[in-house]
Amino acid sequence: MLEFNNSTPLTLGVELELMIVNRRDYNLTRGSDDLLLLVDRQTHGYDIKPEITQGMIEIGTAIHQGSASMLQELQAIRQLLVNSAEKLNLGLAGGGSHPFQHWSEQQIYPKARYQLVSELYGYLAKQFTVYGQHIHIGCPDGDSAIRLSHYLARYIPHFIALSASSPFYQGMDTLFQTSRLTSVNAFPLSGCMPGVENWDQFNDYFQDMARLGIVASMKDFYWDIRPKPEYGTVEVRICDTPLDIVTPTLLAAYAQMLARRCLEDEWQDIRPERYLTYSYNRFQACRFGFDGVLVDGSAAQQTSVQDDLLATLGSLQAHATALGCEAELAALRERTLKRQSDSQWLRDVYRDSSSLSEVVRRQSACWMHDQRD
Amino acid sequence: MPHFPWQHLVLNPLAAFGILLTLGVIGGQIANRIARLPAMTGYVLIGLIIGPASLHVLNEDLLRAADLFVNLALGLALFESGRRVDLRWLRAERTLLLSTLAYCLLVFAALCTLLSNAGLDWQSSTAMAAIGMATSPIVILEMLREGRAEGQVSDRLATATALSSLLSLLAFAIALGSAHLLNNHPPEDSLLTPAWLILGSSLLGLLAGLLAIALNHWLGHQRQQQTVLLFGLIALLVGLAGMLNTLPALALLVFGLATRNLRGGESVSEPGLLAGSHFFFVAFFVAAGAWLQPQALASHWPLTLGYLLLRSAIAMLFWFLLAPANCLTRRRGLWLGLALNPLSGGSAMLLSMSALALGTQAGSAAASMMAVLLISELAGPWLCRLALQQTGDICKEQ
Repeated sequence: MLEFNNSTPLTLGVELELMIVNRRDYNLTRGSDDLLLLVDRQTHGYDIKPEITQGMIEIGTAIHQGSASMLQELQAIRQLLVNSAEKLNLGLAGGGSHPFQHWSEQQIYPKARYQLVSELYGYLAKQFTVYGQHIHIGCPDGDSAIRLSHYLARYIPHFIALSASSPFYQGMDTLFQTSRLTSVNAFPLSGCMPGVENWDQFNDYFQDMARLGIVASMKDFYWDIRPKPEYGTVEVRICDTPLDIVTPTLLAAYAQMLARRCLEDEWQDIRPERYLTYSYNRFQACRFGFDGVLVDGSAAQQTSVQDDLLATLGSLQAHATALGCEAELAALRERTLKRQSDSQWLRDVYRDSSSLSEVVRRQSACWMHDQRD
Repeated sequence: MPHFPWQHLVLNPLAAFGILLTLGVIGGQIANRIARLPAMTGYVLIGLIIGPASLHVLNEDLLRAADLFVNLALGLALFESGRRVDLRWLRAERTLLLSTLAYCLLVFAALCTLLSNAGLDWQSSTAMAAIGMATSPIVILEMLREGRAEGQVSDRLATATALSSLLSLLAFAIALGSAHLLNNHPPEDSLLTPAWLILGSSLLGLLAGLLAIALNHWLGHQRQQQTVLLFGLIALLVGLAGMLNTLPALALLVFGLATRNLRGGESVSEPGLLAGSHFFFVAFFVAAGAWLQPQALASHWPLTLGYLLLRSAIAMLFWFLLAPANCLTRRRGLWLGLALNPLSGGSAMLLSMSALALGTQAGSAAASMMAVLLISELAGPWLCRLALQQTGDICKEQ
């Protein structure tokens, strides 16, 4: 029986997976152990840990009421990491995938959980060297978490378009705005949560899956959005790690505004038909970003991701005011109007330099030192 | 009696290069599969077996004819080694820079003292001690490539190797100048020799770096053309440095340093130059083995052992003590010291350069150094691999 540890509604936390690259050719490097060793020589209370392969690291924030304080914490974590990385001649970078690393060269981090994943999933584990942002939103109870998970599914294309930063994979332009999600799709328990309507039903589903030996814990679900009972949150896992430090807080603020509307309106419209168009819309956003076409199944009409996002942002003004994140709402609106995308920026850098090493060098300068030019 | 071509078969340089490569690969595989030794130990052993000192399949003339490929291999390794020095990193991590400088000076002083006490004159001692400061860039790079080593020990090893080679070449040039002076060459010769060797080589390297960056930029997207161009520039620089009587090794190191650290040089060696250079390296190690003279060990073994043990002991103790300051555990510091063991790949060439300046003791110094090289060429790669395995930089999956 899974217990949902209730948390303060609408509190926020984010996790960011980051690349560790060498500064010779900017390929991924097995630097996580060295980096963590040096970081842990200093006294800090931050959540910085290894990830599935040794060219990755994950940072997580504490619980925040809003995105402004979250940004401050992220900047402090970054400073700590950058100081250590500079001493070790390592680069840290955002972005959903490394443009030219080869999955076969990656090494699984020597931790029991990751070794198990590697044994079960074979090469998929190494292909999972992709980098995402996870957003946690506090929920008052399990039923709310189930409702919120279904509610946010409708807005998944928005998060994809806003965070897309993985146009290159294995040395090639994929023509996708985000290629990262293709790696996630390969896992058998990826996609979306089944159509359960409340926490009890979810628990029944989980127990069935556990009894059949398919899962042992919530970590075995690689869904785009999932309840996180131990934290008392809903976790949005669809975003690429953005290239800079500000975008993650904007994405968190957007999730918070949507969550507030869901919880305030006591939204209950959970219907299996809502998922008819889920995969198609998700694909459209991955492939075309803001230019993707969204299909509204119930209204039988189509719109673009950009128009749908602008309309949604326009409807969230009251929630932004209540949460004190009007600046974030304005920034999101401006980015959407300009179709400002990390993927496009990466493609521009490649077009100018014709070097994927240079692309990663600029990515790294962007995350470590806020240098875009 | 008809005359058949095989009755007076003489190998030409291309056939010699073919033999170096073919037998080298076979030797490398045997060493690797049977004795679990690094492939390069097999290359050197094969060279030793087929070289003038043993079976004489390759004689001195053919080995000299194959110098073209050997020098190119050395040039590629030195260029790549220079590219491993990131001056921006050394500004942030001054401890590494200072540690390497102090380590080199310590090794130089200790070896000088040992060699002087062993009866060598001052000129020979300083020249041999200068050579002993350097770790072999070609061995280290090949070891890192073969084991796909990654991590702080590898990074620091690569940087210390390049810096120690640089310092060794500077010290060697100065030692050569002072040897000229002490051997009654004209004083202007004694001053001009090191100045020309150091400044001339550095200037050549710098100019090559600027040219490479400009041409690389001009070629733009054409990666294959960029690689060919870079090979061409390296060959040109090796040849030019030789023609101008400068130090090719120093010019190549500066060339690599320049392309890494000057603005716009980030993508000069992209895609990785080393990936396409392996066959030159095989030829280099077989030829290096063929030039070895095992008989030198019989008469010079006490000095040889003293030289090698002192060098290793200083390296291990020094890096062990300074490990925490270098962001390493003491254990990894100790292994880093051991990994610095392989002697410089261009030592034999430096020795031949110094023969004239060293005067009467040149023969004795050269024989001692050949004995040192014999052991170092065979044991160095193995020690380096062992060290990198122990630090975890070469992981088990490799």
